[in-house]
Amino acid sequence: MGIDAGESHLRRVSHWKLYFLLLTVVLVLVFIFSLNIGFSQIPFDNLLTILAKNIPFLGGVVKTPGTEEFLRQESIIMQIRMPRVLGGALVGVALAGAGVAYQGIFRNPMADPYTIGAMGGASFGAAVAIVLGVGVALLGVNTVPVFAFLGALGTAFLVYVISREGTRVPVTTLILSGLTITIFFNALVTYLKLLAGNRLHALTFWIMGGFTYTDWTEVSTIFPLIIIGVAVIYLYARDLNILVLGEEQAQHLGVELERVKKILLGCGALMTAAAVSISGLIGFVGLIIPHLTRIIVGPDHRILLPTSAIVGASFMMLCDSLARVIIAPSELPVGVITAVSGGPFFIYLLRRKRRGYTAR
Amino acid sequence: MDKTLTYIVAVLAIIALVVASYGFVAFQGQVADLENSTTDLEASLSNIQGTLTGIQAQIGEYQSNITDLEEELSGYKEITLVDDMGNVVVLNEPPERIVSLAPSNTEMLFAVGAGDKVVGVTDVCDYPYNFTAWVEAGNMSSIGNYWQPAVEPIIELDPDLIFASTASEEAAATLRNLGYNVLIVEPKTINGVLEAVLLIGRATGNHVEASQLVSELRARMDAVVNTVAGAASIPKVYHEVYGPDIQTAGPGTFIDELITLAGGENIFHDAVTSFPIVSSETVIEKNPDVIIFPNMYMGLIPWGTYDDIASRPGWDSITAIQNGNFYIIDASIISRSGPRLVDALEELAVMIHPELFG
Repeated sequence: MGIDAGESHLRRVSHWKLYFLLLTVVLVLVFIFSLNIGFSQIPFDNLLTILAKNIPFLGGVVKTPGTEEFLRQESIIMQIRMPRVLGGALVGVALAGAGVAYQGIFRNPMADPYTIGAMGGASFGAAVAIVLGVGVALLGVNTVPVFAFLGALGTAFLVYVISREGTRVPVTTLILSGLTITIFFNALVTYLKLLAGNRLHALTFWIMGGFTYTDWTEVSTIFPLIIIGVAVIYLYARDLNILVLGEEQAQHLGVELERVKKILLGCGALMTAAAVSISGLIGFVGLIIPHLTRIIVGPDHRILLPTSAIVGASFMMLCDSLARVIIAPSELPVGVITAVSGGPFFIYLLRRKRRGYTAR
Repeated sequence: MDKTLTYIVAVLAIIALVVASYGFVAFQGQVADLENSTTDLEASLSNIQGTLTGIQAQIGEYQSNITDLEEELSGYKEITLVDDMGNVVVLNEPPERIVSLAPSNTEMLFAVGAGDKVVGVTDVCDYPYNFTAWVEAGNMSSIGNYWQPAVEPIIELDPDLIFASTASEEAAATLRNLGYNVLIVEPKTINGVLEAVLLIGRATGNHVEASQLVSELRARMDAVVNTVAGAASIPKVYHEVYGPDIQTAGPGTFIDELITLAGGENIFHDAVTSFPIVSSETVIEKNPDVIIFPNMYMGLIPWGTYDDIASRPGWDSITAIQNGNFYIIDASIISRSGPRLVDALEELAVMIHPELFG
C-alpha cells in the first residue's frame, strides 16, 4: 500500500457517510419513481395518498376519495407495483451483495453470484417445476420458486463438495467446477425445453427473468433470507478486505480463512437462490454493480457492501420500470434490460480504467 | 128514450172512468216497477263496477307480485362456472365487460354472439375481425402479449369477466387474487372445444346461441366422419408444424386428432411429445401419402416453397411428393382451439380423401 493510495483511502473514509446518505436519497427517489411508472396513469398526488394510507397504524387517519377508480388505483399500487418494486429492490440487494462477496473471496473481477453454479441449478429447478408440472396440484401453490431456490442452493452445495480438497476449498477449483456444473445443467434444461410443448414459453420467460407477477408472499419469503445474508457478509467485511490481499497473507493476518470462506459462500448462495427463486435469471447485476460502486466509494468492503446493495436495489428498480413501459401494454423481461444496458456499460468500465478490485 | 140514452151514456162514462182510472193505477204501478228495476240496474252496475275495480286491483297486485318474483328470480339466477383448471367462478349477473387473453377465446366469444361485450383482446387476436385495426381506431383495447401478459393493462379495463389460457396462467392467478372473475379455457380435444363454446355461452348469457352453434358443428363433424368411414384406405399423413429443422405434431394435438377424424393416420401419432422435432430421414422412412404444410404469413409457408420442400434430399422417394399430394392449410384454423377446427376438419378430409368429396 503506497503512501498516496493510503491518503486517498483516508480521504474516502471521511466521505463514507456522505456517499451512504446520497445513495440512500437516490434509492428513495428511484423507489417513488418506480411506483409511479406503469401502464396505468396514476396521478402523483393519488400515489402519495395511497402510500400515506397504507403506512401501518398511522394510515387510518388519511382521507381518501374512496371512489371506485381510486380503489382500483390503490390495488394497482399496493397489490401489483409495490410487491414487484420491493421484490426488484431485494433481488438487486441480493445479487449486488453476493457479487461483492464473491469478487472478494475469489479475488476475481469476473466472479458473480452465478459463478458457483447457481444459474444452472436455478434454471434446472424451474424447468423441472414448469415442464413436468411437479406439484402444481399441491394446493395450487406455485412450486416454481421453491424448485428454483432448491436448485440454486443444491448446485452451490454440489460445487462446494466437488471442489473441496480435504479441509480446503481452492478458489480456482471452485470456479471451474461451478462453470462445469452450469454447463451440465444448462444441457439438461435444453433437453427439458424439447419436452416442454406448450410450457416452453413459460420456461423461456422464467429464464429471462422478471417481476411481472411478483406478489407479497414471494417478497415476504425472501426478505429475511436476503437481509440476514447481507448482514452476515457485512460482519465479515473486514475479513474480506484482508482476504483480497491473498489467502496466504490473510492467514498470516489471523483470518480463519476456510471458515470465513464457507460462511461467505453459504450466504452468497442463499441470497442468490432467494433472488432467482422470485425473479428468474437476471444477469450482469451481480457483476457490474460492485464494480460501478467500487469506482464511486473505493474498494473497502465496509462501505462497498452497503452501498453496492443500495445501488443494486436502485438499478434493479429502474430496469423493472423500463421493462414495464418500453413496449407497453406488453412487458419486456428484466433480464433482457439488465443485460442490454449492463453489457456495454461493463465493456466501457473495462476499457476506461483497469482499476484493481482489491483494497490495495 | 132520452132518459135511456142518458143512462147508457152515464154507464158508459162510468165504465170508461173505471177503466181509465184502472188504467191509470196500472200505469202508475208500471212506472213504479220501472223505477224499481232502474234502481236495481243501477245497483248491479255499481256492483259490477266494484267487482271491476276489485279485479283491476288484483291485476295490479299480480303485476307487482310478478315484478317481485322476477327480482327474486334474478337474484337466484347466479351462474356457477367451472373452467378447464377446475377453478370455480360464480356470476350474479351477465358480464358486460369481458377481456380475452387468447385468440381462441376471442374467436369463441364472437362465435357465440358475445363479441359486443369484449372490451380487450391480445395483440395476436386476428379473427373474426382485424382487431389490430380496431385497436388503432380506438374501438378496442389491447392488453398486449398473449404469452405472460402484464396485469395492469387488464385491470385498467375494469373487466367483470376474464377469459385466460394456460399461456396467461400467472396473470390469471394474480387477477384472481385481486378478486376478478377469471376462467382459464384451454381445451385439449375437439369435444373439449365444444364444451368450451358451451361454457363461454353460459358465462355470457348466450347459451342458446352456443348450443345452436355446437349442434351445427357436431352435425358438420358427423357428416365428415360418416363420409370417410366409407373410405377404402387410411392414407398416411405428415403435417409439418415448423421448419426447416422440422417439427411436427404428435399425440395430444388438435392436428393429430383432426387427421384421424378426417380418415387419415398421422405418421407421428406415436411420438413421445406433442410437438416432436424429427429428422428428415424419419419422414422418408415413414413415407407419407399426403403432406400438409401450414401457411402462416400471407398464404406462404415461412420456410420455403413447394419446390424447396420437394427437393429436400431423398424426399423425391416419398409417395406424397411423387403423386403431388401436397397441401397447405391455414395454421390458425388447425391449431387454435375454436369453432374453425371444424373448417380444418372439412379441409383435411378433402385433402386426405379427395375421391370421397367429388
